[in-house]
Amino acid sequence: MPAWRWLRFVQGSSLRRITPWLLVLLALVAVRLSKGAVVSDAYALLSRPFWPGTAQAEWLRSARRVEDGARLAQLEQDNQRLRTLLELQKQNPNRVTAPVISRDGAGWWRQLLLGQGALSGIRAGQAVVGPGGLVGLVGSVTPSTASVTLLTDPRSRVGVWVGRTQHHGLLTGIGTGRPLLRFLEKDPQARPGDVVVTSPASTLVPPNLPVGVIQSMDANADPAPVAVVQLIAPVSALDWVQVQVR
Amino acid sequence: MDLLTRQPLLVASALLVPLLVLASPGWLSLDGVGPCWAVLWLLPWALSDGPFSGACAGLALGLLLDAVYPGGVTQVPALLLLGWWWGRMGRRAPPIQRSFSLGLLALLGTALLGLTLMLQWGVQDWVGTREAVQLAGPELGRNLADQGVNPALLALPGWRWDDLAGPGLRVLLSQTLITALLAPMLCSLQLLLWRQVGSGWRR
Repeated sequence: MPAWRWLRFVQGSSLRRITPWLLVLLALVAVRLSKGAVVSDAYALLSRPFWPGTAQAEWLRSARRVEDGARLAQLEQDNQRLRTLLELQKQNPNRVTAPVISRDGAGWWRQLLLGQGALSGIRAGQAVVGPGGLVGLVGSVTPSTASVTLLTDPRSRVGVWVGRTQHHGLLTGIGTGRPLLRFLEKDPQARPGDVVVTSPASTLVPPNLPVGVIQSMDANADPAPVAVVQLIAPVSALDWVQVQVR
Repeated sequence: MDLLTRQPLLVASALLVPLLVLASPGWLSLDGVGPCWAVLWLLPWALSDGPFSGACAGLALGLLLDAVYPGGVTQVPALLLLGWWWGRMGRRAPPIQRSFSLGLLALLGTALLGLTLMLQWGVQDWVGTREAVQLAGPELGRNLADQGVNPALLALPGWRWDDLAGPGLRVLLSQTLITALLAPMLCSLQLLLWRQVGSGWRR
């Protein structure tokens, strides 16, 4: 009767010794079966002093307020932009609004590709106006696209004048971000800060479109003074432009 | 020439080049100047497919790109020459596939392409200037500083010699460098693709 002998051995003083350990084991099994009820509760009790208080809630609320404010400003700005676009479209029925679908503002050729073409009435040579003034002239068209030669392209030559002194010049792209204004007179009396607009004498572009601001003058250039012109329209950030169709 | 004769449709992947030229992302550029996608496509094609096929692909690419870019300059001769040269190189020498060699070849090719463009603009400027001076007459043309401004000379469109030497050189350098940097990554992948396709058809 080996089994009975083993039982008798347990029944001795050793049973009393292992009873606490059995209880611990039972407790652990209970914790396991209850999916850690006691542990989580104990953790909650112990970490009570460190719970996120009102201060943290305040921070979160202020962050939410800042986010809402930023989104509101963004939406308002967007709304304003779209409204101006709509307004402009109403004001100028002979202007076609076109999206810029490809932009090459540096490199050998400086041009934009517009998402409207001959089907919308765009023809080569028409002026392209962005927010801030003249951007360039349409170089070539396909049925649904038009490529625009930017004013900064070396192939671009546009007749302009300085509105204040009414001296004519030729705005020539030189392959950098800022075109050069070559004056036709010896003494153009222009100075940095003067606004350059398209010339009323030019047959290529509509008259008196703002183009840029004179940034620096070189009065001693040969054969006539030249000025570096900063364009008003941000060419690298254009997303919608208008083509002046006739 | 296995690729061109047995699978001529693969040349249609050259159509991606003008699309990439138009859709070139703004961040993939050096000083605003994007890479020369024509070189990046032509280099692995010519290396894996021989001089005749390379020259044909160069001609096709040149015609496509001349359609995208306006003006009286052409990229056909440079691309034709590059395709033929790289094709010969792929046939004569042991296969070129190291990153450094690919980068160097792309660098030389882009520089050559840019230099041919600059040369064409330079010649156009020279011829145009001569014509403008003749048009304005000898007394106005001889000495512009004394006689006033010659509007015909000012209105001459296109790159001028002094612009080519300044901003033009900057464009050339930026494009050459960004193309050479991209070539090891893109060209080795294409080489792998063309070789796998080619060997698969030979079997």
